[in-house]
Amino acid sequence: MNFTELTTQLEQLFPGRLNCYTQFGCNFVRVKDHAVYKDVLRALKEKFSFKYMVDVVATHWPKKTDKFEITNNLFSIENKLRVFVKLSRPDHVFPTITDIWKGANFMEREEYDLMGIVFEGHPDLRRVLLPDFFEGHPLRKDFPLKERKWFNKTDEQRLGIKFTK
Amino acid sequence: MQNINNNVAEVVTVNMGPQHPSTHGVLRLVVDLDGETIVNVTPDVGYLHRGTEKLAENRTYHQFIPLTDRLDYLSPLSNNLAYCLAVEKFFGVKIPERADYMRVIYAELSRVASHLVWIATHALDIGAMTVFLYAFRERERVLDMFECATGQRMTSSWIRIGGVRDDAPEEFFRLAKSFVDEFDGFVDLYENLLTNNRIWKMRTIGIGVLNADDAQDYGTSGPLMRGAGIDFDLRRDEPYCCYDKFKFEVPTQPEGDTYARYKVRMKELREANKIVAQALENLPEGPVMTDDPRVAMPSHEDVYERMESLIRRFYLISKGFRPPKGETYQGIEAPKGELGFYIVSEGEERPYRLKIRAPSYVNLGVLNHMAQGHMLADLVAIIGTNDVVLGEIDR
Repeated sequence: MNFTELTTQLEQLFPGRLNCYTQFGCNFVRVKDHAVYKDVLRALKEKFSFKYMVDVVATHWPKKTDKFEITNNLFSIENKLRVFVKLSRPDHVFPTITDIWKGANFMEREEYDLMGIVFEGHPDLRRVLLPDFFEGHPLRKDFPLKERKWFNKTDEQRLGIKFTK
Repeated sequence: MQNINNNVAEVVTVNMGPQHPSTHGVLRLVVDLDGETIVNVTPDVGYLHRGTEKLAENRTYHQFIPLTDRLDYLSPLSNNLAYCLAVEKFFGVKIPERADYMRVIYAELSRVASHLVWIATHALDIGAMTVFLYAFRERERVLDMFECATGQRMTSSWIRIGGVRDDAPEEFFRLAKSFVDEFDGFVDLYENLLTNNRIWKMRTIGIGVLNADDAQDYGTSGPLMRGAGIDFDLRRDEPYCCYDKFKFEVPTQPEGDTYARYKVRMKELREANKIVAQALENLPEGPVMTDDPRVAMPSHEDVYERMESLIRRFYLISKGFRPPKGETYQGIEAPKGELGFYIVSEGEERPYRLKIRAPSYVNLGVLNHMAQGHMLADLVAIIGTNDVVLGEIDR
């Protein structure tokens, strides 16, 4: 099965709710209606054998109305086909896909940590790379690159390290 | 003592790491133990966190290449390759054939170097010292080759957007040919020491079993997935560079335990060696850098002779180039699994968003699933078999 066949079959299942296109050799499926987002993903896994969960990417678009975007990178080993499923939302709350792919757990925690996206229904939403008391989410566009005042006095005491000059 | 008498399980929390040698860098594992049996493992990463993805948004495309070396520092040239292929997808640049072959040689030698560190440290964790010494001896020879070709042993930043930086000297090909001829013998040596070794078998067979469904569900790739019996290799299934021109096999093992992954990696060493041998034999002549002016730096000879080239070079260095608006992704079969770069471009000199799909990070996510129910001593074997490099996890 190639991407054109997949597109026609997906269009039949979810008429008018998807936008499928190819860009720079990559296949994208944009979900326009967020109510069917998880149904699309479940259909991809169960009907079209997209069993290999590759990655979850979050993008911040502060100038657009849909400020946050999630891209799920999926691969079908049977059909040797890669598909990116996209969903945009005006706020930072997204449905989790950990109940479809277990591996999404760790990937979504990273996006929660660095981009500040809350995945509703995630079983273990904690920071991964940064300490729990870290304020802000570094990969958001409004987080400055040369911000140095990360830790305050109590954090220094808690860690027993002096961070400020 | 009272608890033991009453047969009530008491869960004890033990910290492994962050600086324990078997945790391969700065990985801290919070292990919940019931006696000596693992109930739960929580990996705690973030000690190295350097914010590479944020840095990428504030650098030009060329300036980011040296940072990719620092991700998986045991196979820097594979990281260069994945990043450059992703950027090249924006332009659809045609890469000269010789450059493609050189990239394959570098990528496969990186795989050899990375797997040699893996077999060395994994065997050392489990208690086999000799393999460590042998494998590092051979790795030195691979690093000598990299030093000869790129001038650096570890962080070479040699693969550029549009080709490779420069052609390799004759000495490199001489070293590579002699290494390729001898390497199968070295792998035989490691296998003699380990494959039928009774202690090795008892420590690895049935440990950390990952079945085929879970391997895909958790998103693991590379030897973890092939060790679970899934016949999947991006070099063959989503070809990049010129891998379709080489004959090689994708080794798989159905058992999914630590021993199976060991066998897969040993076979991969031989296959990588085979690919290097073929590439060295059929290496075409010609340039190693594309002449596409959108991405390629003009050569120094051109810069000295032509004003336009000087301006172009100055512009590329100071400003960088602008890919068209859009998003693209390229994954390669790195030694540890699928390494991919997802780049969002807004038509500017800097990537709008760059996401690294790091195999080590995803492989660490499955650690808890693999370790539950095993002994604490087996956890060392399971971390080793996952082959994590913390530079890649923490980014």
